[in-house]
Amino acid sequence: MSPMANTVPFSLNRLVIVAGNTFLEAVRQKLFNFLLLLAIALVASAQFFREFNFGSSELKFISDFGFGAMVFFGSTLTIAATAQLFFSEIENRTALTILAKPIWRTEFIFGKFLGVFAVVGVFCALMTLLLAGLLYHRESGLMTMHPEAFEHGRIIHYADLVVMGMLQWLKFGVLAAITLLIASFSNTNLYTVVMSFFMLVICHLQYLARDAYAQVASVPLRLLVQVLGYVFPNFQVFNLADQIGVGSGLDASVALHVVVYALIYIGVIGGLAVYSFSSREI
Amino acid sequence: MTNAVPSAAIEIRDLTKDFSLNLRGIKLRAVENLTLTVPEGQVFGLLGPNGSGKSTTIKIILGLLDPTAGECKVFGVPSRRVDSRLNVGYLPEAPYFYRYLSGMELVKFYARICGVTGKRLDARVAEVIDWVGLSGAAKRRVGTYSKGMLQRIGLAQALVHDPRLIILDEPTAGVDPVGAAEISELILKLKTQGKTVLITSHLLAQIEDICDRVAILDRGRLILEGNVTELVGQRDRQALIVDPLPLEQLEELKEWLATRGHTLNAVEQPRARLDQLFLSKVSRSPKGGKE
Repeated sequence: MSPMANTVPFSLNRLVIVAGNTFLEAVRQKLFNFLLLLAIALVASAQFFREFNFGSSELKFISDFGFGAMVFFGSTLTIAATAQLFFSEIENRTALTILAKPIWRTEFIFGKFLGVFAVVGVFCALMTLLLAGLLYHRESGLMTMHPEAFEHGRIIHYADLVVMGMLQWLKFGVLAAITLLIASFSNTNLYTVVMSFFMLVICHLQYLARDAYAQVASVPLRLLVQVLGYVFPNFQVFNLADQIGVGSGLDASVALHVVVYALIYIGVIGGLAVYSFSSREI
Repeated sequence: MTNAVPSAAIEIRDLTKDFSLNLRGIKLRAVENLTLTVPEGQVFGLLGPNGSGKSTTIKIILGLLDPTAGECKVFGVPSRRVDSRLNVGYLPEAPYFYRYLSGMELVKFYARICGVTGKRLDARVAEVIDWVGLSGAAKRRVGTYSKGMLQRIGLAQALVHDPRLIILDEPTAGVDPVGAAEISELILKLKTQGKTVLITSHLLAQIEDICDRVAILDRGRLILEGNVTELVGQRDRQALIVDPLPLEQLEELKEWLATRGHTLNAVEQPRARLDQLFLSKVSRSPKGGKE
C-alpha cells in the first residue's frame, strides 16, 4: 500500500473524545466545585440585599448582582480551568501519550477548548437558573405585596435572562480561546494565568481607549487604535444587562450580532492557538 | 533461493536535532547525524547514558519533535505526518496517566482516540487488559496503581489498537525485578506475534536477554550497532560446562588440549544470575495486580 493512502482526516469524533475527557477532569477538580459553590452562595445571598421601591429597584439589583457574580467567578473559572487543564497535560506528560497517537494537534487544542467551554457552559446554566429562580421568587412576593406596580404583569423578561446567560457563556468562550493561545506558547501555568487576566482587563476596557482616541487628529494613531480595537475583542458588547431583566427587553438582532462577533473571535484566536501549538516541542 | 531482506519499521537518515538554549541562539545538539534502521519483526534496543539522545530520537520518531536536519520514516511514512502513527504504540518513560480514570476507562479513552469503536472497542479493551495481567484491577482508579501496574496499563494503552510497532521508553524504570521480568515476558510475547519493538533501558541484562539488535548512542552520536549475539559473543573462545573434575583429571585435560595446540584459559564455577535467583525465590503477584 502506498504510504500516501494512509492519510488521517480531521475527526470531529476525536475532538469530542478529548473534550469529554477534559470536561471530566475539570469537574473532578476541587477548584471547579469550590468556585461553583462560592458563586451560588453569592448569587443566593443577593436576596438579602433589599431596597423596597415598588419592586423594580430591588429586582434590578438582584439581576445586576447575579450577573456580576457570574462575570467575576466565570472569568476566574475560565482562566484557571483553561490554564490548569492545558498545563496538566504538559507537566504530567499525558500530552506525550496522546499526541503519540494518530491525532491532529488541531483536534487536541479544540478538544481542550470544547471541554473548558462545556464546563463554563454548565457554570453559566446553573447560575442563570439560580438567578432566574431567585428573581421569580422575589417578583412573586412583590406582586403580592405591591400589586399596583405589576398591573401589566411580570416585569422580568426571563427568556432574555437566558439569552444573557448564553452571551456570558460565549464571552467566556472568547476568554478561554485567549487563555489557550497564551498557554500554547507559554512555559508556565502562572504566566498564562497572569497574562490572561491582563487580557481580560484590556478586553473589558479597550472601548475607553477607542472612544478617547476617536477624537485624536493624528490619523496614524487613530488607525493604530482602531486596529488594536479589532485585535482585542471588546467584552463590553456582551454586557446587555441594561436591555434585559427589568429593562425594555433584548433586541434579537443585537444578540445575534454579538453571537457572530464571539464565534468569529473564537475561531480566529483558536486558529492562532493551533498554529502556535503545532510548532511547540513537547 | 533468495534471502528476503526484512522491511524496515523505522528508517532514520542523517538525523540531527538541535535545541535552542536561549535567545542568543546558543544550541544544544541532542542528536547528530544519526542513521539507523529498525527491521520489522525484531526487538531493537536503543542504549546510551542519560543525555545521549535516546528520548529525543524517540520523540522524533513519534512526530513530537521536528528534526533540525535529516529524515525519519515509520513504515515508509515521514514521521512528521499524523498517519505515520497509525501503526505505532508508545509507552513513555515513567508514565503518568489521568489519575481520575479507572484502568479500563483509560485504555478505552486511548482506544477511541485510535479509532477502535463499536463492539470491537469493549472486547479489545478487555482483551488487552487481560493480556497485561490487570483484569482484577481494571475498575480501580489509575491513581491507586503501583509503578509496575502503571507500566502495564501503559503497555495496554500502547497495544490497544494492535499496532505493528511498539516503542517502549524505559519500560522497567522504577519497577521491581519481578515487574521487570514480567514486562520482559510481555515483550517477548509481542515478538512472537510478529511485532516490532523499540526499547530503551538502562537494564543491560534485560536488553541482552530480549533484544535481537542494539544501537548504542553517546552524546547524540551512534557509536555501535549490531546483532546482540554478534556484539557480545566471543567467537574465538568456547566454554565447556562439565561436572566437577578431580585435580588429576583436570591436569590430563590440559595435557590433552596442549597436545592438540589448545590452551585451557580458565577453570571457574558457573554462577547463577542474581536476577534469576531473585525471581526464583520471590513470589509473583497474582494476575490482576495487587488488590
